[in-house]
Amino acid sequence: MSRVIEVPSHFDDRSFDAFAEGFGEWPPEEKLLIDARGTQWASPYGLIGLLTAGQALAEAKRDKPLFTVPTSEDVKRYWARAGFFQQAAEFFELHGKVPRAAATGPSDVLLDVTPVRASEDVHGVVDKISEGASRILHGELGLEMKATLRFSMALSEACQNIVEHAGTSGWVAVQAYTFRRRLGRRVVVIAVSDAGVGFRRSLESTHAKRFGERWGDGAALEAALIQGVSRFRDPGRGQGLAFIKRFLDQWEGKISIRSGTARLAIVPPWDEDVPLTDRLSYFPGAQVQIIIPAQQPVR
Amino acid sequence: MIQTIRIGHLLREAVAAPYRNLVTRPTGAAVRTRIEETLARSNCLTAMLDFSEIELVDLSCADEVVAKLLLAGGHAYFFVLQGLREDHHEAIDHVLTHHRLAVAAVPPGSREPLLLGWVPSDARAAFACICERGPLGAPDLAGTLGWLESRSREALRELSRHRLVRLVGELYHPVPTA
Repeated sequence: MSRVIEVPSHFDDRSFDAFAEGFGEWPPEEKLLIDARGTQWASPYGLIGLLTAGQALAEAKRDKPLFTVPTSEDVKRYWARAGFFQQAAEFFELHGKVPRAAATGPSDVLLDVTPVRASEDVHGVVDKISEGASRILHGELGLEMKATLRFSMALSEACQNIVEHAGTSGWVAVQAYTFRRRLGRRVVVIAVSDAGVGFRRSLESTHAKRFGERWGDGAALEAALIQGVSRFRDPGRGQGLAFIKRFLDQWEGKISIRSGTARLAIVPPWDEDVPLTDRLSYFPGAQVQIIIPAQQPVR
Repeated sequence: MIQTIRIGHLLREAVAAPYRNLVTRPTGAAVRTRIEETLARSNCLTAMLDFSEIELVDLSCADEVVAKLLLAGGHAYFFVLQGLREDHHEAIDHVLTHHRLAVAAVPPGSREPLLLGWVPSDARAAFACICERGPLGAPDLAGTLGWLESRSREALRELSRHRLVRLVGELYHPVPTA
């Protein structure tokens, strides 16, 4: 028996739940085929979500899933340029011709799909992002120069959550693109995902009691993002997400975190997302997306 | 006596790589350990932490390096920060405010320190007054700011508790920065 999981045609945070639903009970017993042939576009959130699924299946000692690559040459090239196939080869049996990533000049990919396994990787990510971030955030999005450094801080804190809390490794990717339908502006998107224990299990031993029967994935996300709690007793912990929220508030940005069966978002005025969604299909670990929009609409 | 500690140098030692970004908790903890080792060998009164070679300070490192040094307490030293850029201020101010701590920082090109973090507003006003006028006692401060002496004494006690002024006899001195 095998199970086919179709990658949505337009694969981003909105269509992610349909993708997660495809797995059924976690971890699925059947051999999996992840079918991306019809995929026309994937956000960085979508790309590292795919890798997270592959990683979680490997860690659950399931068979290596088959993965059929997109049919569209443009889509394949973009995924290759973003470093997706290079990482995916470890977790999937790839079917279909995969282009080699072309070394190009400045690109909308600010940070390739990059594994985050330890603190040294966070140093590497922050070092690598600094030049491109300034070009995009200041040059294209019209944010103040100091936004570049705040952006790097936000990226650093988001990646450290993997190292500090997930109990396994994860992924990060950063891209700039145009949110035509939702916003009509250029945006920079940071996506961070891991296949780890998730917010609920990370916080359970220290915070579940306080929530009583309300405790679950949604309450854990609320505790971390809204109340700034951490699993560590150290009173200095839990400030990273608070800072990211403050930074995003200033730039009308958005953060959303999906963990387990819930998703919590701080929703800016330009978006129609709901703050808390629960009873979603389970997906391992945690997936964070941070969106920073341009200050002016696209002409 | 002032001991200047170059954070950029300690960072390179701690991570054994030419990084200029002070990020992640393990890195921050390693840098803090090196600061403490340096101070243990020193007989200085003021430790000047120089951030001028640092590109980025994230919140985790601001917490591990600056907040935890101040929280450790029992230090005989006055800590002063220098070479900070605006975004460094922001990270350090954020974590110190969270802990209700404060530190003096000397802006580039200036000798007059400013306060990062949290102290009550009276203590902040007293700090600015002492930095501008030099050593003051509680009655002098009360006279200058038009306060009751009890209010001035409380503000100075608060500054002294945060090791932001140095009490010599009856006078509260600004922390030495040069």
